[in-house]
Amino acid sequence: MAPIRDDELILHHYRDGLDGERLAEIDAALAASAELRARRDALVEVLALADDMPEPAPSADFERRLWQQLEPRIAPKRKRDRARAWWSFDFVPRAAWVGAFALVLALGIGFFAGRHSVDETQQANADALASRVLDAYVAEHLRATEGLILTAVNSDAGEPIAGNRELASSLIDSNRLYALAARRAGNARLADFLRQLEPVLLELANQPVPSNVQSTEGLRDYVRKTDLLFQVRAVESKLDPRRT
Amino acid sequence: MTEAEERWVERARQGDQLAFRRLVEAHARALYTLCARITRDSAMAEDAVQEALFNAYRHLAEFDGRASFKTWLHRIAVNAALEQLRRNSRHQTADTGADSDDSEDFLAQRADDTPGPDRHARGEEIRRRTEEQLSRMSALERTAFVMRHHEGQSLEDISAVLSLNTNACKQAIFRAVRKLRGALEPLR
Repeated sequence: MAPIRDDELILHHYRDGLDGERLAEIDAALAASAELRARRDALVEVLALADDMPEPAPSADFERRLWQQLEPRIAPKRKRDRARAWWSFDFVPRAAWVGAFALVLALGIGFFAGRHSVDETQQANADALASRVLDAYVAEHLRATEGLILTAVNSDAGEPIAGNRELASSLIDSNRLYALAARRAGNARLADFLRQLEPVLLELANQPVPSNVQSTEGLRDYVRKTDLLFQVRAVESKLDPRRT
Repeated sequence: MTEAEERWVERARQGDQLAFRRLVEAHARALYTLCARITRDSAMAEDAVQEALFNAYRHLAEFDGRASFKTWLHRIAVNAALEQLRRNSRHQTADTGADSDDSEDFLAQRADDTPGPDRHARGEEIRRRTEEQLSRMSALERTAFVMRHHEGQSLEDISAVLSLNTNACKQAIFRAVRKLRGALEPLR
């Protein structure tokens, strides 16, 4: 049998990370060797040091304070997701409805032309028009989103973010409409990209006021790690190359 | 997971804030203990618990029930605690390497050291030294050790949460135990 190392005794203690055969070998060796048992007991003594430490416990009102901080962060999401249907006229900003109407009109032209005209050129023109309208609206939407994210990640205090919360809320609704329109127009990639933006917009819309350093730092990290601003600019420039 | 908890999870998933509050109340203290053991700082632990619960709420739809809700929540909390440590890098110990006495086998030395009444009388001193040794561990070592020793998580699960391979995970735990042993050193 191979000599039993201390590291193996640690794994044996936790009954984890050793195969059954080695565990059985160590069990047998422990039964047979007082020296090995002494080493095992020494390990148990060392590990008991961790158990002897007082268990960290929060203050008595921890749950209450925790909930006080959590509630405002999760309540708006609940309201937005459940109490308000995303298509509810009362809550979708007027600008988004105007944009959506234009999109529906443009997509309708394409649909109508496709159904009622035998002229393939007319069909192609209608499709292209619908696509251009969608692209222009989404590019504008992405510019607003880019500005919003830039403001959020570059602000040190809570106030600039607080000012952007309303804008973020309105962009969530527009974002959903444009994602839907892109999906219906057959542009699944754009639709998916817009869907990816939604959690960030939700985060910005639900930032506490004043925003805390932690949430701002978290957003910065996320934006940096995902290269989000680069992605937004790239899609924006693809949709509207004249503006970039 | 109890039946009641299952119902709360399902209702919270549908946006029921009261159900989520029940989950928070049921798990907050254990999450705090876990995060405090990892961060060694009360304020960071509280922030980590809050972030963990917020993230859990946002991702409730992704909880598939393969692990228990507690396990799922604790995994999120481990990452939240590590994130707090990253943000507060001053709390990170620079001592991420091996123990000063990094001999492969160290238990034989302890085996010769029979506990005596003096040791018991010096319980406070041992606790202070244990605190020191726990602080000497790197965040990764301490997290792996806390997850294995206090939380009873398997090496496989710990590796997955910490994005380590199993061998690196084992090594982190071995280093943590060696450092912990240092708390008894001066008493020999």
